[in-house]
Amino acid sequence: MLTYTLLAGFLFGLYFTLIGLGLNLVFGVMRIVNLAHGDFLMLGAFLAFWLFSLFAVNPVPTIPVAFFIFLLAGFPLYYLLVPRLLQAKDPEMLSFILFFGLSQVIQSLATILWGTSERSIPGGQLGRAVAGILSFFTGHKIENGPIEILGQSFPAAWLASGLASGIGAVFVYWYLYRTKLGYLTRAVMVSRDEAIASGIDVHRVSAVAFGIGLGLAAVAGVFAPFMLGSITPAMGSEVTITSFAVIVIGSLGNPLGTILGGLVYGISYMFMQSYYSSWANLLPYLLLIAVLLLRPNGLLGRQARRA
Amino acid sequence: MFGRARLSMSVALLVSVFGSAHAVEAPKEITLGTLYASSGRYASISMPVHYGLKLWMDQKNAEGGVFVKAFNKKIPIKLVAYDDQSNTATAATLYNQLITQDKVDILIADSGSVLTSVAVPIARDNKMFLFDQTGTGAAFFTPDNPYIALMSDPVSTVWPKPLADFITHDGKGLGIKRVAILYSTNDFTGTQANAVRKFIKESGSDIEIVYDQGVPTDTSNYTVLINNIRATNPDAVVHLGYAPNDIAFIRSLEDGGVKFKFLFCIYPGLETELLEKNLGGKALSYIFTYVPSSEISYETNFGMSLREYKEAWNKKYAGVNIEFGFNSVAGYNTGLVIEKALSVADSLEQLDLRKAVFSLSGKLKTLDGTFELDPNGAQLGESTPLGQLITDEHGHVKFVTVWPHEVANGKPVYPRP
Repeated sequence: MLTYTLLAGFLFGLYFTLIGLGLNLVFGVMRIVNLAHGDFLMLGAFLAFWLFSLFAVNPVPTIPVAFFIFLLAGFPLYYLLVPRLLQAKDPEMLSFILFFGLSQVIQSLATILWGTSERSIPGGQLGRAVAGILSFFTGHKIENGPIEILGQSFPAAWLASGLASGIGAVFVYWYLYRTKLGYLTRAVMVSRDEAIASGIDVHRVSAVAFGIGLGLAAVAGVFAPFMLGSITPAMGSEVTITSFAVIVIGSLGNPLGTILGGLVYGISYMFMQSYYSSWANLLPYLLLIAVLLLRPNGLLGRQARRA
Repeated sequence: MFGRARLSMSVALLVSVFGSAHAVEAPKEITLGTLYASSGRYASISMPVHYGLKLWMDQKNAEGGVFVKAFNKKIPIKLVAYDDQSNTATAATLYNQLITQDKVDILIADSGSVLTSVAVPIARDNKMFLFDQTGTGAAFFTPDNPYIALMSDPVSTVWPKPLADFITHDGKGLGIKRVAILYSTNDFTGTQANAVRKFIKESGSDIEIVYDQGVPTDTSNYTVLINNIRATNPDAVVHLGYAPNDIAFIRSLEDGGVKFKFLFCIYPGLETELLEKNLGGKALSYIFTYVPSSEISYETNFGMSLREYKEAWNKKYAGVNIEFGFNSVAGYNTGLVIEKALSVADSLEQLDLRKAVFSLSGKLKTLDGTFELDPNGAQLGESTPLGQLITDEHGHVKFVTVWPHEVANGKPVYPRP
């Protein structure tokens, strides 16, 4: 039971890492809190649901499609909302209001489009794709169904979302530390004013980061029907709150701290479910308070961000 | 002296004449106030109830309104409805607004125990009779609160009796000795869990409860919980949650390749269409559940039959993303109880409305079954037998009623293949 709980927490935490990565990247670059982050995740989830129910598209090919659609959608949305916001005296605080409003608009439109009821995609759909991919790489035929990890059986979707989260984290690392645009992004993260003074086109850099943030949220959304039971237009708010706790635990503004935050959250959550199940959903808030009291800059703190 | 007495009598006569004339002046409309949740965790059980109530209202208004005995005429109905977004704090504010600002004649709770729980004390404090649509939490119905009655569903303290009776009677023969209970911690499913425990213990059978845990109602991931239940090696698993809980629980079972020999869930029966859309017929096969009024054609003495109602629903809400199920019946049933109560109530005073509603107990038979209240307003009629879902040749699920024996139309399949 202990091993299972630990592994489940690790995989579940990886999923919340994937959710938090984009939110933290946006905060790190623009110092704004995207309270509509969970709603973009919800839109990614409904894109997967829509493609599956209308065209029988497996969720796996939907992953890159969702990423690029939302990456591209991020550019105009950034230029529409963020530059004006950054001109305000207190953009961080105003971003709460602006993106809360955006969240409400997205939720309402989604409700009109898809109704209020729960929707989901059969679990076997993702399992089939995972089995196919594993069969290809291992050379053995792997049946569609749960996957064995260290002798413990988990839904294939958990492994798939863990892999996607790993790929997402590597991608963000590669982007920030191995690309020219990434260097510029890190410069903006350290000091926006100095970046402007150095001649960096901060809006271009920020727009790309914003788009990547939305793209990662949409990818997490594709896995939402499998990881969160079902999807509804109103699911975004809850996801945003949990992912916000995750990034604060890891370190606000440090996308890679999100990995640690996600894992701490996931493992603690599963242990709570096993031993104090009635209180499990209090966990993000308890962790948040504990981290704010003991390490206000998060587990990886400011120094790690600047390293 | 005589003159003063005559004057007093004249004044008394005038007051009584004009006073009574004022009392019988009929309102232009009867105002019904209610809440619904267009988003959030309870939307899927709230919207069908709300749409069912609206269907009844539109139908009655098309006929010129409902007959109100107190004014001896038909009066149109006006519905004042606010969206509480599944939020109890918002709901509390809006219930207050319906009573104090909108001054509604009739107060109707939102669907489900969670959103009803905040209405109960507010209605009581304001001396408004609460038409509780589907809030079955036992704590709502107490001898010191005359301002509530449950319209549909048996109260949760008696609702799970068919389930517990099946386990303790037929279950023994099938080999069920170890039972696991997982429930969401809210008034509805918390009370049901208490009732299941109580019935099993009182039965005197040697059934052992090997797992008994509550989880928050907004739990969406059950993988670890299922693994923990499996570790206790139960013969039967009882999962008590709302529709999103059941979807997430059954999906975790499917995705994890776990099959319990006996699994009971509430919503595969109550909202079959919704769960079938989400999980597919195969995932629902062999699950035990309640057989609700949306699946049984009860004999009625008031309102449409189930078949007529379903036709009316499909006609009115074609293309609307709201599934037909037990809750859609419950909303319409609330309308029927209100209509019948208005037709016998002496006035629109709240305690007269209560008296009228209680006078229907045991007599009113709608598509939801026999309306029967206990002295505290808890619903004892409209019971739901225990059934099992079986997949037909087209992959769709159908109900087989297995308990009580007198209404059973098939044998239970145990263990699950």
